[in-house]
Amino acid sequence: MKKFILKIFGILAVIYAALFAVFYYDLDGKFIYYIFEPFMVKRFDNMKREDNLKTPYDMKEDVMKEE
Amino acid sequence: MKILNKAKIVREKMKELFVVEKPENQQEGKKDIKKIARDFWYGKPHEERRLGDLYVGDTGLYKHREWRGFVDTMYYFNMIWLYNYAHMVTDIMKYGGGPVKGVVNFSKGLMRYRWMGQTYLTVMHWFDRGLEGMRGPILRGSAWHYRGMVSETIRQFQEMFASDKKLHGGKESEQWKHNIAHNETVSGSIFYGFHDVLEDIPLEMITYFVTCHVNNHTVLNYIDAAQSIGLPADPCPMCQAEYGLFVLDDYPDFAPTMITSNEACDGSVATSVIQDWFLNRPLFAMPQPMRYDDPLVQEHCQREIEECWKFIEKQYGVPFNWEMYCKYAEEQNKLTAFEHEKWDVAANTPYYPINGVAQALYRIYYSQDGNRPIWHEIDAHVRKIMNKTVKNKIVTLPKTRHRVIAWSCAPLYYSSWCTWAYNCWGLNCVINMDSLMFDQFLRTDTYEHALEDLSWYNEKAPMRAMAVGGHEHILSLWDYMERFKCDMVVMYDQLQCKGMQGIHGVFEDEFRKRDIHAIWVPHALPDKRTVSRKEIRKIISDYMITVMREEPLDPTLLDFEDDSSW
Repeated sequence: MKKFILKIFGILAVIYAALFAVFYYDLDGKFIYYIFEPFMVKRFDNMKREDNLKTPYDMKEDVMKEE
Repeated sequence: MKILNKAKIVREKMKELFVVEKPENQQEGKKDIKKIARDFWYGKPHEERRLGDLYVGDTGLYKHREWRGFVDTMYYFNMIWLYNYAHMVTDIMKYGGGPVKGVVNFSKGLMRYRWMGQTYLTVMHWFDRGLEGMRGPILRGSAWHYRGMVSETIRQFQEMFASDKKLHGGKESEQWKHNIAHNETVSGSIFYGFHDVLEDIPLEMITYFVTCHVNNHTVLNYIDAAQSIGLPADPCPMCQAEYGLFVLDDYPDFAPTMITSNEACDGSVATSVIQDWFLNRPLFAMPQPMRYDDPLVQEHCQREIEECWKFIEKQYGVPFNWEMYCKYAEEQNKLTAFEHEKWDVAANTPYYPINGVAQALYRIYYSQDGNRPIWHEIDAHVRKIMNKTVKNKIVTLPKTRHRVIAWSCAPLYYSSWCTWAYNCWGLNCVINMDSLMFDQFLRTDTYEHALEDLSWYNEKAPMRAMAVGGHEHILSLWDYMERFKCDMVVMYDQLQCKGMQGIHGVFEDEFRKRDIHAIWVPHALPDKRTVSRKEIRKIISDYMITVMREEPLDPTLLDFEDDSSW
């Protein structure tokens, strides 16, 4: 039991240290800047979109119809 | 040979990304172990921090995040970075209607909308920029303000995504049928009488306003889209971005109606027209007069608000509930009361634990958005910190050389300029114009009083009161300078704001007459391409060097590149 708790503690300590390394060396920022954002920009740039200029400009119906 | 070359490229890239060059005077000589230990525990003194050396090229990324001393670095890591990342995940689940549903809707929204997918994952860098150089209580207090804004942002976009027809195959869900979309400067307090039955969600707060601060790349797409269909480039870029969202079909469809306003001035009338066209659903336009002090105009504003309520009653079949209005108005009054306490500390002591950017953004956000539980939570945290700094007389920004008031519309892409200005020049931006709007308690003793106060509240919206609301409001700068004991003005100069341009000369004359140190900071609101962040820094630095004859506290912050940063 003691060994098991120490093992868990050890694993948590390693995770904590890894997270600190991510934080201290700004690895989250670097990942988003160099990898994630360019990927997302490419996706949005190539996305097919509705042409809202084709929306008719009419009178609008009320949401609730009068009885 | 190829492998050697590749290894060299990798080595150089790693150096660029992670290695901080030591300054010349530290490269040789014996190491002072006591100083190293002291710096490790307490953090380097302000003048030795060399924060500019930490940046990676012009990206705004850090070779490594600041070492703020052991205690503050551990606080930042645990209670700001880890805490906020963890709470972002829990907020997505909480506000998304459950862990699975929340994550699924969030993922759909992330992949569908540029303002979501390109912007919001960079949020911790938004914290970093605003909190650079902060230590002790001001680090803690300011971070809580950021936390409040993040939580409320998540709540809003999760509400949008849960009901968005575009993410759910065109289906009009029950949630969709109970939402009201509105312009971001229609104050949330307008909807208090319907609060528990209908959900009011500002359309542009998350899709436009917050994105400019978190990642200023996103909004440029919307401004360009607006101009691509032949609309002129000279109106306020805020209006351009807001209708550019529609041109690019990047707005979520989460409500059957829309309430618009002339936010904050008549420049946005075109925005309302285009929103009316593209949204293609019942829309109520509630423009507020620019000059509103006249009692007859006030009566007109009150009638406009009542017409808005009638519109909501008619469209949703939900009657205005007076008790509900009183409940939320009284809750909001508590937020206003605490804001006054904060201003009292900021004006009269050096113990205010909120820095310029956190003060400005939090205030503009919650006062526009209206009463929400998160604001009270955040205020409780900040109250605790502020009580401690006042009781123990903790000077929160000890390198303050000048107390600054910032006036007019701020550059959204560089809201953290005041953090830089403190770190580089000791300029403490104590208060700003946007913080001072919506300064109105809402009486609930009678319906007539409530309507009167609500009308005033609505008129004191961002920019409307003090940028375009008539000279008597615009020139209230002098009174606030005295009240907050400021010796310097940073005068924002939004180059596309016709309202403020008209009174530019009056300000010049008054600054001269009153012998006030005023630095004009030109900008184009959300558009960083017109006046870059670097140019803003140069303007301020030039003034500090040539007029004030001062030396920078941190010379590495005088001249650096950040054109590609968020």
